[in-house]
Amino acid sequence: MEILQIKKLSKSFDGGKTNVLNEIDFSIAKGSIVSFVGESGSGKTTLIRMIAGLERSDAGEIYLNNNLVSSDRTFVKPEKRNIGMVFQEYALFPHMTVAKNIAYGLHKDKKEAKNRIAEVLDLVGLNGFEERYPHELSGGQQQRVALARAIAPKPELLILDEPFSNLDAMLRIQLRNEIFEIVKKTGITAIFVTHDTQDALAVSDEILILKHGNLIQKADAETLYKVPKNLYVASLFGEVVSLKKDVLAQFHFKAEENKEYAIRNKNLKLSVEVSFKSQAKIENTTFLGENYQLKLVLNDENFFQVYSKEKLDTETVFVGFEEKDLLVF
Amino acid sequence: MLFMFKTTHFKRDFNRWSIFLLAIVFFIALPIIAIFIKLFGGPGETWSHLVKNVLTSYVGNSLYLIIVCGFLTVLFGVSSAWFVSRYKFPFQKYLEWLLILPLAIPSYITAYAFAGFFDYGGSLELLLKQIAIQIPKMDIMNIHGLALILSVSLYPYVYVASRAFFLHQSANLIEVSKLLGVGEFKTFFKLLLPMARPAIVGGLVLVLMEVLNDYGAAKYFGVSTFTTGIFRSWFALEEPETAVYLAALLVAIIFGLLLLEKYQRRKISYSNSVKSERKQEKIVLPKGQKWLVFSWVSVPVFLGFLLPVSQLIYWATLTYEEVFTSEFFTTAFQSLGIAILAAIGTVLIAICLIYFTKWNRIPFIGNLSKISVLGYAIPGAVIAVGVMIPTLALDKWMIGVAKNFTSESIGLIINGSIIGLTYAYIVRFLAVAYNPIEATSLKIGNALPESSNMLGIGNIRTFFKVEFPLLKKGILSAMLLVFVDVMKELPLTLILKPYSVQTLAVKAYEFASDELIMEASIPSLFIIFTGILPVIFLNKLIID
Repeated sequence: MEILQIKKLSKSFDGGKTNVLNEIDFSIAKGSIVSFVGESGSGKTTLIRMIAGLERSDAGEIYLNNNLVSSDRTFVKPEKRNIGMVFQEYALFPHMTVAKNIAYGLHKDKKEAKNRIAEVLDLVGLNGFEERYPHELSGGQQQRVALARAIAPKPELLILDEPFSNLDAMLRIQLRNEIFEIVKKTGITAIFVTHDTQDALAVSDEILILKHGNLIQKADAETLYKVPKNLYVASLFGEVVSLKKDVLAQFHFKAEENKEYAIRNKNLKLSVEVSFKSQAKIENTTFLGENYQLKLVLNDENFFQVYSKEKLDTETVFVGFEEKDLLVF
Repeated sequence: MLFMFKTTHFKRDFNRWSIFLLAIVFFIALPIIAIFIKLFGGPGETWSHLVKNVLTSYVGNSLYLIIVCGFLTVLFGVSSAWFVSRYKFPFQKYLEWLLILPLAIPSYITAYAFAGFFDYGGSLELLLKQIAIQIPKMDIMNIHGLALILSVSLYPYVYVASRAFFLHQSANLIEVSKLLGVGEFKTFFKLLLPMARPAIVGGLVLVLMEVLNDYGAAKYFGVSTFTTGIFRSWFALEEPETAVYLAALLVAIIFGLLLLEKYQRRKISYSNSVKSERKQEKIVLPKGQKWLVFSWVSVPVFLGFLLPVSQLIYWATLTYEEVFTSEFFTTAFQSLGIAILAAIGTVLIAICLIYFTKWNRIPFIGNLSKISVLGYAIPGAVIAVGVMIPTLALDKWMIGVAKNFTSESIGLIINGSIIGLTYAYIVRFLAVAYNPIEATSLKIGNALPESSNMLGIGNIRTFFKVEFPLLKKGILSAMLLVFVDVMKELPLTLILKPYSVQTLAVKAYEFASDELIMEASIPSLFIIFTGILPVIFLNKLIID
């Protein structure tokens, strides 16, 4: 069953001068975790803000549970949409304790609310923190309180807006895994906004790639990796090199008309035992710790970055690939 | 295309906040709209006489005051701001905040004190007599004296603005300049002064608004300006039409000044680009220089604060027995009451304006709200005239209605009542309350109210549960600032106050007009005392 449906959703700022979203169409199945991936300016933040009701669309429709919540004529206020949201900057109310923060969205009687607070605090592993104020918590703890507060009223949809961008790399991976374990436990439908592809790959059932306000591709992680729709999508999952027809010819590969080719750098093999190969000159070698990065020159004008476990002392080398590793658009 | 675009969402986006916001904007803009409409009624009989004979002197005097006060306030304000923020010299720490204190004294009170000090038989003559020195009579009760008095009481606006720049924005620049081998003198004139210009002009515009707003000092010194002209044509000549024309002319001049300020800021937008967190070390001056700097910086403090306050205290010791009557305490009580009422009213409207603008979804209506904070630029006398017009009309209409339906005759209800007066204060001081509250609201940001919305709480409840508790500091400072401004306010109060009510400012003015200038000292000191606290508070805000 679909919990969210977006139809031809558009938005522009500055009176129509800057297009932020361009006729976006997609839907999200109940119970899934979907990541929205894009650079800043891709429109991903505007998109979730419109789903949440914090921003108004210029055109198009949004359905939540098959109910129209936003169109040219209709607008359901954010407080009536039953969507939970974890903000980038956590947005905990600084003048309220942890318990009060969580109780804020619970429109229940005191005893029920108290039980629910204990329940969600247990879920995020923060029992005993009820009476603390936000400023007495670490960044990771604040994050978890924000999550607890958002899921306490049992929303139908949970939106996490770049929740890890304020954290350093180590803590971020740890917290990311913790948070999504909790999300999965609750079985809630979640939208996760991020600019980090690795984050998206790690946690989501489906990934939605946005660029310049356009929805480029929506698929599960494996499809995106193996069958990316274009070079941009491919490049989100590691270094990619585009292969023009004349270059492919060097490798004795016959390219089809009207098709574009590319390959992941890590799939370029330094070996004579591959199906398509060519000799290349080693321009320079950089030691990167785990391996060596070689800059290869093909035919005096085309460069490749290739990685090698061992240091190569020769001047030239064979480089090539298998057909199954080619990305074709 | 764009227009169609907007109307397609009008039904969806137009909400009650749009209506409330429009209502507030209309409520605040009404006095100016009224003046504008009245202009079409034609000028009064004396207008042509006024144009022929006195208008040139109004324009000439106002222009002279603008130029001289502009020059002197920049000279005092910028130089002292630079010295206290860059160098260490005797009493520098105390002078740093003493320099702001003249703001606590309304310029008409400084004018009374100066008159008493320099007058024939005044304090200066008495003091010099003690050491057997005779000096020729010094006449300061003319336009030159007025320019000096306005300058020493208003320079803090420039001082505060330029000091904020020198304290927060110049540390890195000075270091770069020094590393490039440029000397102190050149660094200041070639680098910092041009960069500080937008800040300085910002302060200067406030000075000029106050110069054009002044009524009490000019009246006491017998100098004809636009404001005294408005009073004369309304009350002495009983020609509101002429007063309206003068008011409109004055407003045109002020908007001209505001446009100039906007223009100079548009061309230079780099002023806020480099805010350095670090404060630079102050330079210790050599012996000779440090006393020289001390003397220079002391001049505005002495003229703008110490001299008038000493003179007033001296007078107070002579007159307190006659002035401290129950009548005086009633006046003080009424003054405080009115100021508190106005402060609460203004803050309420400011909060509504800020939040209705946020909750309104139609951009065009949101932009209108910016108009409503322009009241601070418009002189009190003009606002008073603007408030008189619609309130009189409304009262007349109500009298007519009452007569028709109940055949009873009622008097003026709003005009000359506390309602009319508070209304005028709100229009005039809305910006004073708006700015600190808006700044605090911006600091709170959007994420907190938005997450409250996401948790199922609507805008109003979000305001009371989340935003209001965090806004308290801003609201308090806004109330304090409006309170003090109302305590000091003279021209608007003179025109609009109910007969039964007296304020300290009006009392001081009446004493002075009745040749009882010594008696004016005690209400004046009272006003100054209430004004000092927020000035210190303001100083803390700049340093933090």
